[in-house]
Amino acid sequence: MILSRFLLAVGLAILMVVTGVSSYMYLGSRQSKVVAPPQKPTAATPRGQAFALPGTIYLEQSGALYRFSAGRFHQLTPEDGWTQPALYPDGSHLLAVKRSGFFSDVYVLTPYGGVTSQLTNNVAPPRSSWDTGANAWSFYPRLSPDQGTLWMSYDGPKTAGAGYFDVDLAVWAVPLGGSIRQGKAWTTANNYTGGDVQPVPVPGGIIYTKYTYDPAGNRTGQLWFTNRAGSPGRALTSTAASCLQPSISPDGGNLAMICTYQKQISYLTVATWNGSSLGALRTLITDQLVAEPIWAPDGSGIAYLAPGGPASPFQLWFLPKNAYNPPPPSPIPTPTPTPGGPHNGPLPTPTPPALPTPPPVRPIQVTSNLGFDASSPLAWMP
Amino acid sequence: MPFGIKPGHRARASRRRLSPFRSLVLVALAISLSAVAGGLAYFIPAAATAIQETGQVVSVPSPSPTSILFSPSPSPSPAEQGAFTVLLLGSDDDSKFSADHVLTQSMILVRVLPATKEVTMLSIPRDLYVHLSTGGYGKIDGAYSYGAAGAAIATVEQDFGVHVDDYIWVGLLGLIKVIDAIGGIDIVTSSPVMDDYYPADIYSGNPFGYQRVAVLAGPQHLDGIHAMEYVRSRHSDLQSDFGRSKRQQQVLQAIRVKSKQLAPSDIPALAAAIGGEMKTSIGLDKVARLVPLAATFDNPDAIRQVLLLPPYTHGGGPDGSVTPNWGAILPLVHQYFP
Repeated sequence: MILSRFLLAVGLAILMVVTGVSSYMYLGSRQSKVVAPPQKPTAATPRGQAFALPGTIYLEQSGALYRFSAGRFHQLTPEDGWTQPALYPDGSHLLAVKRSGFFSDVYVLTPYGGVTSQLTNNVAPPRSSWDTGANAWSFYPRLSPDQGTLWMSYDGPKTAGAGYFDVDLAVWAVPLGGSIRQGKAWTTANNYTGGDVQPVPVPGGIIYTKYTYDPAGNRTGQLWFTNRAGSPGRALTSTAASCLQPSISPDGGNLAMICTYQKQISYLTVATWNGSSLGALRTLITDQLVAEPIWAPDGSGIAYLAPGGPASPFQLWFLPKNAYNPPPPSPIPTPTPTPGGPHNGPLPTPTPPALPTPPPVRPIQVTSNLGFDASSPLAWMP
Repeated sequence: MPFGIKPGHRARASRRRLSPFRSLVLVALAISLSAVAGGLAYFIPAAATAIQETGQVVSVPSPSPTSILFSPSPSPSPAEQGAFTVLLLGSDDDSKFSADHVLTQSMILVRVLPATKEVTMLSIPRDLYVHLSTGGYGKIDGAYSYGAAGAAIATVEQDFGVHVDDYIWVGLLGLIKVIDAIGGIDIVTSSPVMDDYYPADIYSGNPFGYQRVAVLAGPQHLDGIHAMEYVRSRHSDLQSDFGRSKRQQQVLQAIRVKSKQLAPSDIPALAAAIGGEMKTSIGLDKVARLVPLAATFDNPDAIRQVLLLPPYTHGGGPDGSVTPNWGAILPLVHQYFP
């Protein structure tokens, strides 16, 4: 009897320890997924039917560049401040920004991530290293269609000891491989706005985002087009629409962008582009925080970044072309009267059958549990 | 053999204890108790932090009768039922200052109307030149450094003619940790925030050092350190502190949105992050009432943001301060903070 009681006591003690620990661990496992850090793209478990996009998309997460091809990710660079990939027009190389705490530079990389050359040198000279303001930023690199000119946003040249609090980016054009002294500032930024960013070379000039203060004193983005250095050009969108992140379609006839209307929203918007002016804005997505739209090289849709859930990190999404450019409806078949004998009087007018309304085309979430940098434009190679 | 127990009784008692039914009851009891114990072990650190950081006793000096500009209405309207006002204080808490003698870089007066689910956030410019409750005149961000939360509350109450029910103080590091603990926030940064002389006083080891900041524009997911850069930088904003206040209100709303996605199991991690970086006079019982209430505030249009831009204030005050135009400010404040 004593042995039985002892065994029962030991059993109960073990049971209590196991239950207590299990209870603790269960509660820990019930933490919401929104708090969990994003997975690495290469470590994320591929879904059974991963959605594959045509070509190869280059994007950035946690300071590393990745290429997404045939439904799989490949890491191109270490997590070391790499961001904002852009393609050479011939697809032979990549431009990318490498960012440190105090400055950023533009590099040329192979499509597989090997560094070929450094195009800018924005670190403060050793004699000015004491002055943080003597460093400079380069962001949003793009190459001209002839691959001879590097376009970028740049806050230099800097003067050591100037102590300026006003730091604004301007759009610069620099001969590829040349020094910044050979470059030219194409735009003059508005003071204390953050400046002019995201240049997109188009035939005859560049489209870019200019920041400004509206009459109510709010800082807001506006798309502009300019065709000569030193001229701001003309505004393509209003300050109220607050549009930014322009992306030109492969055929050059449409522009995708996001418009925030000076609120904590971001709508995917498109408009036609005739080489000098923009058509009416068409809003395609209003229920997501859309960032960095880019057209598929084959014209099959628009990829963009948006949160995978409420207030969560940004994932890759794809909006098929049918969502904004539906195919024309198929012709309604004309019913023919039933053949018969001689007929006196008018033939009855047959009623055409009602066509079913096609379901609305929704965006497709391509990734989940990742965390792409939504301030880094995407690059998409055919 | 214990005194008074007969041998026959003991044998019967032993048989009862070992009966299958009693064994099952014992097992069920053990499982229940240990499950509760595991739960307590999980939540007790959070409860300890909550007890430590909430319900802070604050001594608010009584303002002089002449400084009471508006007295609360004796019978609140239905919309005012249950309304309360909280003063949010955000501070440098780095090694430039000793504890409780820090400046409050951010001061936001929040009025909550539970009946109508409306919130009004009034950002008080940190450089506002006011009569301090501790005596003399100075920038309002110094009130806390002279007399902790009590002095900050008394200064706001006497100068703005409002009643503050409670305060919440958060250190810079606390804000970073909270945002990281909730997994970051989604925000639309309205323009690039560029700063060549941003204080590198949190992780650099040199509280007087500088670093460069470039928070690029557009929708993005920010972790704690980058959200802090976004709300703290003021050098590159034509509206200086006012622009910063606007960004602070954006981040507060983003935190609110993200908090709605959290589960009770996230509380211990959140409490561990907050530990030592937050103080509030709100008691635990009130916190328990407010949490479900906060979840019902889901209309962003019902959150009113008020900034004291010109003509409510103008620059050129002593020592770079901002001079209040009380004739314009007080009617505005009284409209939203009766």
